[in-house]
Amino acid sequence: MYPHERSLVEEMKDKPFALIGVNSDSTVERAKKAVAENKLNWRSFQNKGSGGEISQDWAVRGWPTVVILDSEMKIHYRGHSGDEATKVAEALVAKMMDDGHK
Amino acid sequence: MRIALLLAGSLLFGSAAAQGSATPKSQDPAKLSPLECEQLLQELQQKAIDDWRASLEAAQKARENPDGKPVRAVRMRPDFGPVATKAYGFAKQFRGTDDAVPFLMMVVQMSTDKAEQKKCIEQMLESHLDSPELAEMGTMLGKLPRRIDQEFADMVRTKMLGSKDADVQGWALFATCKPAIEKADRDSDEYAIAKAALVVFADKVEDRRLQSEITGAIELREKYGVGCTAPDISGIDLDGVAFKLSDYKGKVIFLDFWGDW
Repeated sequence: MYPHERSLVEEMKDKPFALIGVNSDSTVERAKKAVAENKLNWRSFQNKGSGGEISQDWAVRGWPTVVILDSEMKIHYRGHSGDEATKVAEALVAKMMDDGHK
Repeated sequence: MRIALLLAGSLLFGSAAAQGSATPKSQDPAKLSPLECEQLLQELQQKAIDDWRASLEAAQKARENPDGKPVRAVRMRPDFGPVATKAYGFAKQFRGTDDAVPFLMMVVQMSTDKAEQKKCIEQMLESHLDSPELAEMGTMLGKLPRRIDQEFADMVRTKMLGSKDADVQGWALFATCKPAIEKADRDSDEYAIAKAALVVFADKVEDRRLQSEITGAIELREKYGVGCTAPDISGIDLDGVAFKLSDYKGKVIFLDFWGDW
């Protein structure tokens, strides 16, 4: 999934779009290694926050899970398909651009 | 059930070294109590896991010291065939009583033979439909379409709906309502009916796992499902810098739960 996500971030660089990760690796070192080796170009939360695990709060039971939020943080997609998620995100971004977002 | 949990535990945390011999051979199996039979199966299961681990280690060594011989292929998982066979024997031994149910369930979980799995499930539905032990089948309902097929899974679910045991019936009801909870429009009658049925039932069932499945499915849909406003996330990034999801409000957010394992 890395190449897909990377190119998506690249393509959407100048658009109202952000890819934010929640990383569930056992150690930060491991996650950072993956970032370096795969040239990952997005910001990630560490899953183990002070108030418990983010993925647990969000009842994530399978990885990867993708959630697409609109500009008001309303959920438009939740699932495991990167392609479907991308389509939903692209449609939302296109609509924002049509509505005059710069 | 206990045996399945033990299995998961052993696989995850590694097994204690130097297990004793697996089977108390001097005992006549016909005289063992159900509990003793379960213990015996646990030992057999542990042995299968230990053997499998040993074969993994042997293959690893062979790879490290190549002496020209090809490395023997290693199984993907322990061979639980002997456990299934033994469990089937016990199921026969306790035939006609509800004591047979955990053993039939073991066969379903351990066997790789579809026909055998079907036979055991059918026997449970036919002779033990009202047994509380059958609730264990509920945890498997979601897997049946893949393990057997959709038609068989629907048949099992429909029969379980007619059980006199609240937990057995509850699991079947949950499986029936789950698609509506996950996918139906939140404002639709279909969603409202499914939710109402499950909420009423959640109070009646004793199985904690079922209760948490029911509340979990509803909460997931109503708090984190499509149509909800996402709760904010506060945390730190991989460099330890604090940030919030809402820092990106105003953009479309692709929230990606990922890991590099």
